Amino acid sequence: MAGAASAALATQGGLKMKIEFLGAAKRFSARGNEIEALTPTDLSIAREEFVALVGPSGCGKSTMLNLAAGLLEPSAGTVLYDGVPVHGPNRRVGYMTQKDTLLPWRSAADNIRIALELRCRATPRAEAAERVAQMIDLVGLTGFESHFPAELSGGMRKRVAMARSLIYEPETLLLDEPFGALDAQLKLLLLDELQQLTRNRRMTVLFVTHDLGEAITLADRIVVFSARPGRVRGVHSVALPRPRDVFRIRFSEAFGRMHEALWDELKDDIVKGTDV
Amino acid sequence: MASEPPRAASASSVIWSQIGLGLALLAVWEALGRGGGGTWISRPSLVVAKLISWGGGDLWRHLGVTLAELMIGLVPGVALGVLAGLVLGRAPVVAGILRPIVVALYSVPLISLAPLFIMFFGIGMLPKIVLVAIVVFFLLFFNTFAGVERVDADLISTVRIMGANAEEQFRKVVLPAALVWIIGGFRIAIPYALIATITGELLSAQSGLGHLLNRAAEQFDTTSLYAVLLILMLLGLFLTEAAGWLERHLLRWRHRAG
Repeated sequence: MAGAASAALATQGGLKMKIEFLGAAKRFSARGNEIEALTPTDLSIAREEFVALVGPSGCGKSTMLNLAAGLLEPSAGTVLYDGVPVHGPNRRVGYMTQKDTLLPWRSAADNIRIALELRCRATPRAEAAERVAQMIDLVGLTGFESHFPAELSGGMRKRVAMARSLIYEPETLLLDEPFGALDAQLKLLLLDELQQLTRNRRMTVLFVTHDLGEAITLADRIVVFSARPGRVRGVHSVALPRPRDVFRIRFSEAFGRMHEALWDELKDDIVKGTDV
Repeated sequence: MASEPPRAASASSVIWSQIGLGLALLAVWEALGRGGGGTWISRPSLVVAKLISWGGGDLWRHLGVTLAELMIGLVPGVALGVLAGLVLGRAPVVAGILRPIVVALYSVPLISLAPLFIMFFGIGMLPKIVLVAIVVFFLLFFNTFAGVERVDADLISTVRIMGANAEEQFRKVVLPAALVWIIGGFRIAIPYALIATITGELLSAQSGLGHLLNRAAEQFDTTSLYAVLLILMLLGLFLTEAAGWLERHLLRWRHRAG
């Protein structure tokens, strides 16, 4: 059913596609029950595209990120990155989740540096220090370099996590409700920073959220998922010009229409999904 | 968010009250001792005099033996316990196979192995060292194992995506995360190590604080008994404090959390 719509969106030339889900599906077995986290899904994300995945909880959005990151293997179908199947951790992506997963025993600067300490990205000490200093400046953490995560506010921890994902200059960013737990003002501020950073660096972004406003504000395309078992219900292009003013775009007419259309598509599933 | 800091003025008054209480208890002990109970409870003044008269060397020798047994047992106990915990923590299948054996062994009150070790190793320092090592091994093993098992999988995923190989995942995430548990195990192990040493010495020994206790009891010398108990109390306090200092030093990030 979803096949007709999404097959057209799936691989066509392939060359310009950064990430391709080709009939990718994931089943888990938990306590003897087979759980279908993601039904066979086709979706292609072009290079430098910003794609938002929205839908109720448990619809398989996060599963798609884990498949793209190579943290999970699909139980059917394939996931291609630059046309090559993903097997094992995909080192060309940066991944940020709602939980900030900072290492609590490392200071902010040491957390940001960790990728540069790894053998596969070995970086001379002086250069690493310089790049860490640049990132700290970029995300506005100057003065907090030597603070431990427990000494930082939620917003600052997000900034550390963002800097840590960006320092090794991944070409693709996978974001799983990265700012979910923050207050509205701070969220907007970080969304603005995220937009600038990812556009300046010409990154491909796959962004999971259940905040429609967030999706419309940032994305080129929005993929709407239906509730369990997850499947793609529809794909919408966001025809708002860039760069977008994160703080004001919410009040524009085009934004309102888009929000309404998406909400109409989603509301039944959201209601169904919420009390699960 | 944070609770109000305790008033600074009360901190010193607490200390003075504690000193006062301690002196009062000593005075009561002294009075009861002089009042006729001296045979059983001795008197602080006699205990101090006894300690001074021992100070010449005998006491130091026995204290040295006890400390040596404890420390020499501690080193392999800690090292092997941590090693086994780290290895089995990363090898759940092997851990599952070995589990019944480990649980069965640990269900034996380990102190009750002392007679066996004395049979095996004689009445010198060796059986006490082995006893300490075994007791410490199990405590460190269980703690390290639990620590490794409970490492947040998301932290490991984070560095895996960055490209960390297995060794880097272990060194940069698993080990530091487990360190909280390892240090915790070490702090628990210290008093148990002291118990194991003294128990071994009580059973049969020719030197050490436990031997001094036995000798005093055989001679019905309560003053000497209390003197040794006092030394043991100070020793326990010192070791516990040292372990606490080590923890604060190694886990600075936990103690600076706001």
